Amino acid sequence: MEVKSRMRRTASVAMVALMGLGLAACSAGEADADLNPDEVSGEISLLTPIFEGSPGQDLLEDELLPQFYEEYPNVTVNVDYTTYGNLNEKLTTAVVSGLVPDVMLMGVGWIEAFADKGVLADLGELGLSEADLKESYTDEIVEAGMWDGNVYAVPIMLDTRFGVARMDILKEAGYDSPPSSWDELIEIAEATTVRSSNGSLERAGFDMMSLDARQAFETVLFSAGGDLFNADATEPTFNSDEGVAALGLMADLVNKYEVEDIGFTSTDDIVNPLINGRAAMGIAHNNLWTQALEADETVLDNLEPFVIQGESSGMFFGGTLATVANNSKNPQAARALLEFLSSPEAALAANEQRGNVPALTELLDSDYVQSNRFVQFAMENLDVAKREGGPAQWLEVRGDFAPAVQAALLGQKTPEEALDDLAALVQTSIDR
Amino acid sequence: MTLPTIKALAISEEVTVAPRKRWFHHAKGRQAVLVNILLSLGAITMLVPFLWMVLTSLKSPAELAQFPPTVFPQEWMWSNYAATLDAAPFGLYFRNSLVIATTHTLITIALGAMAGYALARIYFRGREAIFLAFIAMLMIPTYTKIVPQFLLVKFMPLFGGNDILGQGGSGWLDTWWALIIPGGLSASAIFLFRQFYLSLPKDLEEAARIDGLGEFRIFAQIYTPLIKPAIATVGLLTFQESWNNFLWPLLVTTSSDLRVIQVGLAVFQQLDNTQWQYLMAGTTMATVPMVILFIFAQKYFIQGFTNAGIK
Repeated sequence: MEVKSRMRRTASVAMVALMGLGLAACSAGEADADLNPDEVSGEISLLTPIFEGSPGQDLLEDELLPQFYEEYPNVTVNVDYTTYGNLNEKLTTAVVSGLVPDVMLMGVGWIEAFADKGVLADLGELGLSEADLKESYTDEIVEAGMWDGNVYAVPIMLDTRFGVARMDILKEAGYDSPPSSWDELIEIAEATTVRSSNGSLERAGFDMMSLDARQAFETVLFSAGGDLFNADATEPTFNSDEGVAALGLMADLVNKYEVEDIGFTSTDDIVNPLINGRAAMGIAHNNLWTQALEADETVLDNLEPFVIQGESSGMFFGGTLATVANNSKNPQAARALLEFLSSPEAALAANEQRGNVPALTELLDSDYVQSNRFVQFAMENLDVAKREGGPAQWLEVRGDFAPAVQAALLGQKTPEEALDDLAALVQTSIDR
Repeated sequence: MTLPTIKALAISEEVTVAPRKRWFHHAKGRQAVLVNILLSLGAITMLVPFLWMVLTSLKSPAELAQFPPTVFPQEWMWSNYAATLDAAPFGLYFRNSLVIATTHTLITIALGAMAGYALARIYFRGREAIFLAFIAMLMIPTYTKIVPQFLLVKFMPLFGGNDILGQGGSGWLDTWWALIIPGGLSASAIFLFRQFYLSLPKDLEEAARIDGLGEFRIFAQIYTPLIKPAIATVGLLTFQESWNNFLWPLLVTTSSDLRVIQVGLAVFQQLDNTQWQYLMAGTTMATVPMVILFIFAQKYFIQGFTNAGIK
């Protein structure tokens, strides 16, 4: 892993050097060759689910936007802060009323729906091409901002999910490294599970319940070598053999190997069970590092990230992307802001404020990334990471995943039945 | 029957009645104890989450991470409150919430009482149909009304750069109008007022009319002073609903200057990370006005709930 990490870092340094020549075309925080700052003007609005709270607002309005105004003195930006939990309602009401913000930050899996409805501007027409972006980001990340072959969004930050092991617990059980296969994962999880004399669970061997059931399933699905949808996103493929095997593994971990009980942890728990030792391993968000930093620094040395390895490498990513409204009255000013927000400097500051993973490959060597082991690990493995989303109906159907996964974990349905029923539901939405 | 015989009978009656009375008093006492125990359990069940919220607001992140959790903070982190206030402009949000909730309450009490009175005590054609329409409105889920209400606000003629047809501008969006007018009056408030006015005797109205009082004075001077519990109940419910409103203020405003306290609290609850100590500190502070209001209006509030049968 170390060697691999060093090789990737060396490669990224080389890439940074190359990008010094070519990246200015798409990000870099400098005025694009096509954009003349003196000619770009107008009042634009920005809708953002990040930069929230006083620290975020201070960062955006006192540090970043002044830099933008320095470059584009004739542009004024009005910021509308929201939360991810209510972004959909905010966007929906904006779209139906015709008052779409000029620049919108939204999540991975959201682009398809809003691009399909014609809400988003084709950034290709504004001068940003897929090829340009792929020089600075991994292919999968660029594709998260594309719909129907066109670029509609530029990534700013990523949220990743991967395996995390408590090495102190694993070592106690006689294991020196995290699992490198599903079989090892089961073996270590069984060895590290602790139950009291009356059978109640005291420590889960592998925790899957403290994150959203859909995202947990997706991570395991990707490690099985499966995908959510076919290449053109017209059919679900999560109920393939790989999908059934993935959900089967999750159900077996609960019901057969009994390494975690339903309800032992939940997404509403105050603290992740890996931090207080209630779990030996689990699937976790990259911000577990910053959570542990705040709650118990001593545990940081014992937290070891790992890619869940099955037939393939399983790592999940979501994130935040910047888009421009199709009906923007000042498209050039909007594009300038989009480029600024996705530039290395602004994106790094935004990621650092939230403890997230920068999407720009060149930021791997930044001090922030090097100081946060989970973010660094995520960036080093972005080439194996897969995203959720695909069809334009993703936002409608994604809420149906958790009940299907839970039905299988509770033994109400077999993994195959649960996924087939879900696939039928999703297919109906796609065909509608 | 001789006197001694009557006395003897009375004594024997006393003798037989006294244990029965004692038994009755004992039974009543036992019942009261049982009721008190049940009510105390109910009160504790209600209080525990509130106390847990306050105690959580005073713990450090390290202590919150402990399992099993501690009940009382090992170190009382009063600084969490200062940090919470620094995380967002809560002073401004608090003021905005107070202005909106107070205005909603005043509008609801003034107009809701008038509407409730009209529906209860003035006979006019279509009264029942209008009342049924109000009942139907109670059954419409809030979420389904958001988009139509948003469009009404956006296309408000002659406001925010809109022309007479409501086109060309932003209407009431991002203004106090959007925050105050749509939530100013609710069907449930009118319904409650109607029920209270219906429960009052007609004799008062007739006497007032004989004395020469007009409709408005009968409403304002005769009936409305008799429904103080209703005013307290509707007022408190309206204030609480308005104070806790999150989604509507978030949707219709874009400026931070118009945001409310619940929007401020959302800062601590991000998609993948919740800062519980600050969220609980903020929620504790946001609860204080409601608690104070309830303490002052408690007597009327309980009467109101009992009279309206909405326990």
